Amino acid sequence: MSSDDKSVSRRSVLKQAGATGALGLAGLAGCSGDGGGNGDDEYPALGNYPIEGDTATFGFNVPLSGPYSSEGEDELRAYELAVKHLNNGGGWVDNWDDLSGDGVLDYEIDYVEGDTATDASTADESASRMIQRDDVIMFAGGSSSAVAIAQQGVAQRENVMFTCCLTHSNDTTGQDCVRYSFREMFNAYMTGQALTPVVTEEYGDDLSFYQLYADYSWGKTVEESIRKFFGEAGWEEVNSVATPLDTSDFSSYLSEAQSSGADVLFLNHYGLDGANSLNQAIDAGIDEDMEIVMPLYNRPMAEAASSAINGIYGTIAWDSQIDNEPSNSFTEFFGEEYDGRVPSGPAQLAYSGTLQYAAAVERAGTFYPPEVIRQLEGFEYDNIGMGEETMRACDHQAQRAIPVVRGLPESEQGDGQFFEIVDITSRDDVGYGCDEGPASQCELGEYGDE
Amino acid sequence: MNILGDIIVLLVNGLQQGAIYVLLAIGLSIILGTLRFVNFAHGALYVIGAYAGLLIAQEISVSNGKLADWGYQTIGLDLGFLPALVFVPVFVFVVGLAMERYVARPFYDRPDTDQILVTFGLAIVVQEALHALVGGRSYKLVIPPEALGVIPLSGPTDIPFTAVSLGLWRLWVIVITAILVLAVYAIVEYTDFGLVVKAGTRDPEMVRLLGIKITRPYIVMFGIGAALAGVAGVVGAPLSNINPEIGMSILVPAFLTVVIGGVGSIRGAVLGGTLIGMVQVALISLGSVSLLGITVNWTPWAQVGIYVLAVVVLLTRPQGLLGEEEVAA
Repeated sequence: MSSDDKSVSRRSVLKQAGATGALGLAGLAGCSGDGGGNGDDEYPALGNYPIEGDTATFGFNVPLSGPYSSEGEDELRAYELAVKHLNNGGGWVDNWDDLSGDGVLDYEIDYVEGDTATDASTADESASRMIQRDDVIMFAGGSSSAVAIAQQGVAQRENVMFTCCLTHSNDTTGQDCVRYSFREMFNAYMTGQALTPVVTEEYGDDLSFYQLYADYSWGKTVEESIRKFFGEAGWEEVNSVATPLDTSDFSSYLSEAQSSGADVLFLNHYGLDGANSLNQAIDAGIDEDMEIVMPLYNRPMAEAASSAINGIYGTIAWDSQIDNEPSNSFTEFFGEEYDGRVPSGPAQLAYSGTLQYAAAVERAGTFYPPEVIRQLEGFEYDNIGMGEETMRACDHQAQRAIPVVRGLPESEQGDGQFFEIVDITSRDDVGYGCDEGPASQCELGEYGDE
Repeated sequence: MNILGDIIVLLVNGLQQGAIYVLLAIGLSIILGTLRFVNFAHGALYVIGAYAGLLIAQEISVSNGKLADWGYQTIGLDLGFLPALVFVPVFVFVVGLAMERYVARPFYDRPDTDQILVTFGLAIVVQEALHALVGGRSYKLVIPPEALGVIPLSGPTDIPFTAVSLGLWRLWVIVITAILVLAVYAIVEYTDFGLVVKAGTRDPEMVRLLGIKITRPYIVMFGIGAALAGVAGVVGAPLSNINPEIGMSILVPAFLTVVIGGVGSIRGAVLGGTLIGMVQVALISLGSVSLLGITVNWTPWAQVGIYVLAVVVLLTRPQGLLGEEEVAA
């Protein structure tokens, strides 16, 4: 694996600086920590640092009820597996130089779980409880961008790091970005960049399109991104209509889309809403008049929509069919742990995010959040199955490749396979500068040690 | 002709949106009308109906939840849709009787708030029990092959209220709803059993004084209301996916249907459900309309529209459109 030399040298400088400054700071903070050495008395108290005792606790805040709950259950499996490997070795831990497989900085890792109920205020409460009652040193979770953004707010306010799992809104690393959170998942803007060439080549130029989008942060940014990139490719938008989150019957919206005369229909819905809108579109015969595109797919949606996804394009976080060593081994050891179950994209995000955080702690030599953040900023890696990636410092958005997929016919679905991978769009073909797109609106906020 | 065509399309769309609400609302309405019992667990009966239908009609694979933990990988009888449509009402009727005996009856003489709390609690118990057993994933009840297909709805495409096509199953939902509504209406209006129920609704004390036991007809009405909710679950399941949470989200429109149509009135439930469906469809279809230089996009108001409808009805006719005014106790 690759690592960032610059960060390492900065770390040693800071360690020295910390060592000399610690005496003065310790008195000021009134808490020097008893975390068993490992440099943990070098920094002042901040958030839940220093850790008391010899166990570091992570908080996994996932949707265990609500429309994204089955996705949350798979995330939790991956989080539990990550903790097991961090403590006992196994999985990717064995191949990552930064990780020992014997805890993190000699701390045993424990975890608490919470239910976001796919609701921003519930997630906020659950995260706050983890931080205040369970003293978590890091918390993580998805899905739903509104939920992730709410938790990012808590992370920045409480100086406790958050690792995003599945969140796809531009705002997560755009206008709502924070210093204390990192996102491995790509965003709607990058989905637009990846989908446009594939879809326009398949369906043609000069087409008209109609959008239905979920009426919250994520849906709006997907809608804007589709309009931008397909508009730039020469397609014309006929109309774009918001549908309330948790709509179960989209038939009236769909018949309006059908009567619009547009050539292509974008269904910017996710999870159960996506399964419902797609199923209902197929049942009403809309696919006979229009091409349908689902910009962001996920497994529960594909399971629920089953035959309806046949031939429909979209993007996914990760898929077990991606053929490289980290991907294959992840599929293998996840299956061994969970009775042959094939991991979903969010599971890969959950597992890799937890290990990335732990590796950053090891490189920093401390759980002190500002140092861990500095380790992750600008970090380059190619060990999580999506090729070479950079965790960009300016907006904490991973610069990475994007799998573009097409739904399989029902007869070919099964064993966790629902899609055919059409293209893995290179990170060189997607993304944007720190002064453009969503990043131009990002102000990360303070490290907490300024 | 164009206007007539539009009205027909609007009506069909409104009916297909409102049909499920009608089935649920009739049960709610007759239980509320006859037994004076506020049943917030009615949505749970809908969920039970949907899952029972799923398990009778299909064999499903379970990947989450306790059943999966206990080693069950697939469950279900795989008998097809028609047996589900026949057996589910019977099953949910029995569930309804059990609910009446052990949950509702001890609370008949308690305040409305107590009834709401206990039934809402029961709804949560059902939801979480299903969640624990089969996990949170969504299932699709497959539309029976005979009802697969698309009906083109002809109509001019340049004006609002025009649907281009309608899934055939949605027409079946309207037909099944109509048959069941007529059956229940006939039972209540034209049988001795219905007469007792109606009389008991008006003046239970007098009916008792006449020597008629009204407890049994009431229990049967509770069961019929439950069975209708169960049917709603089966016929509604192919329209949107099944998961433990669907009962809660359908409960509010069902109650609104009762409020708009009038408590205890079957005709009111039909009118209320259709009106709700039509208001939603009309507002979504209107889209952006410019009037006097101001452009208003009506689509986002579709959800608000049904509540505005309820408010207007409550202000002008508090007993509901076809509800009867309360007889002084």
